[in-house]
Amino acid sequence: MALRDVAIVGVHATRQALQLDMTTTAACLEAMRGAIEDAGIDKSEIDGVSARWAGPGGTVLDPGSADWVHLLGVRAGWVDDTYPAGVPGALLAAAAIASGLCTTAVVAGGVAGTMSSQAGAVAPWTRPANEFVEPFGGFTLAHFALVAARYLHKFDVPREQLAAIAATIRNAGSRNPEAIMHGRGPFTVDDILAAPVVAGPFTRLECCLASEGAAAMVLTTVERARDLRHPPIAILGGGLEWARQQYVEPPRYDEIGRIGEAAVRRAFGMAGMTPADVSLASFYDVNTFEVARQLEVCGFCDEGEGAAFAADVGIGLDGGLPINPDGGGFSYSHPAWCAVTLRVIEAVRQLRGEAGDRQVPDAEVALVTGAGAGPQYWNLMLLGRA
Amino acid sequence: MTMRPLPTPSALTQPFWDAARDGHLVRQVCRACGKSFFSPQVACPGCLSEAWDWVRSSGRGEVYSRTVVHRAPSAGFEVPYVYAVIDLEEGWSMMANVIGCDPADVEIGMPVTVTFVDLGAFMLPAFVPAR
Repeated sequence: MALRDVAIVGVHATRQALQLDMTTTAACLEAMRGAIEDAGIDKSEIDGVSARWAGPGGTVLDPGSADWVHLLGVRAGWVDDTYPAGVPGALLAAAAIASGLCTTAVVAGGVAGTMSSQAGAVAPWTRPANEFVEPFGGFTLAHFALVAARYLHKFDVPREQLAAIAATIRNAGSRNPEAIMHGRGPFTVDDILAAPVVAGPFTRLECCLASEGAAAMVLTTVERARDLRHPPIAILGGGLEWARQQYVEPPRYDEIGRIGEAAVRRAFGMAGMTPADVSLASFYDVNTFEVARQLEVCGFCDEGEGAAFAADVGIGLDGGLPINPDGGGFSYSHPAWCAVTLRVIEAVRQLRGEAGDRQVPDAEVALVTGAGAGPQYWNLMLLGRA
Repeated sequence: MTMRPLPTPSALTQPFWDAARDGHLVRQVCRACGKSFFSPQVACPGCLSEAWDWVRSSGRGEVYSRTVVHRAPSAGFEVPYVYAVIDLEEGWSMMANVIGCDPADVEIGMPVTVTFVDLGAFMLPAFVPAR
């Protein structure tokens, strides 16, 4: 078997909010239950788990996913605490299934109940606890800003074109009832640029949310998937690229600005496809620059031309390459390390044809990405109907 | 006043902070291949040699990139402040604050030189515009 013989058959996201009054474990369990129900299988079929255990109970011993195996009351052939849950979680689960280590895996993650005591500060998971970062006031967005500032020094990119990316995706989210920012907007390019600067060049509206929620997906063989309730969404190709530990080393654009090129070649090669085959992109929209950068690295356009490409082709529902019709991390939700699982879920809903009034017509192939030049690792996968 | 988060040195990194207390910026230099490396590592990322020394830097470099932070990650930081990648002239890089000037005046390519900010238990390297 290969990756393409594995399909995503069940997905579920909990309610997303800036603060959720529940524990991370409870949120993840709700997401897992929902994904198993969406798949239409009994939990006894689960024999692979990739999650992380947030307590209570459990031990300090790894892997935390073993605690989930216990809670789910199953026996697993494969467990992994895959970080982060989104694309790496799906690809490693698919690899475990394709290699025969297990048959049906659940991948889950989330964060909840952590924000209530954090008034006035950025989310705790955006502050890397490292002695060469934290005392200097470094945090995740600042690292993206350092890459973006050098990029803007190197390339003459109109700020309005970058801001338009946020406006388009935020305005899509404004129409999504599940989005945290539902009903907020519409935003003009001027609104985006006029928002307070968080870390230059980024204004607040050019950055994703830092929110809470959980999400999960169930994967199994395409063969098994044929008997299930939803059309199986196969993993056509994927690639992971790791350069360094995230948010610790200086993010120099010349070293890591193009991170992902090798992964892109691997993923598209595996799928036998080119960017022209992609119907929609479920991009990790952590900020405007990163969306432009990913368009470039994925090969939709040349280096330095991502924002111009977005403007020319259109990234809204009526555009040539719709990006994040659900509002993405800008507007729907960005719950830490399962933010990209939400990107996967939107891609799956679009490919199933169940995205309702935000359905991309003739959605056949979706591109899902995670991470970026700030953290210095990046990943992608291509999904399509099996 | 709330203090900013302080370094939490390990056996590996303690010499960096000891040197900073003495007013010196240091980084590891590989005895085998001569590579300068930072953040601190147990071995040279170039050749994996574990034979390396802490060596004083001139502290001179330039701003590779910078962001002006207006929303601090936690209490203890006065905004706006400049968070930058500094390329040191010995061919290594670190992240630090650029101080001693208007944050808006810190440009990419600007020559800077090291200084130290007194945090009580620690002296924190920072950079000022080179005169």
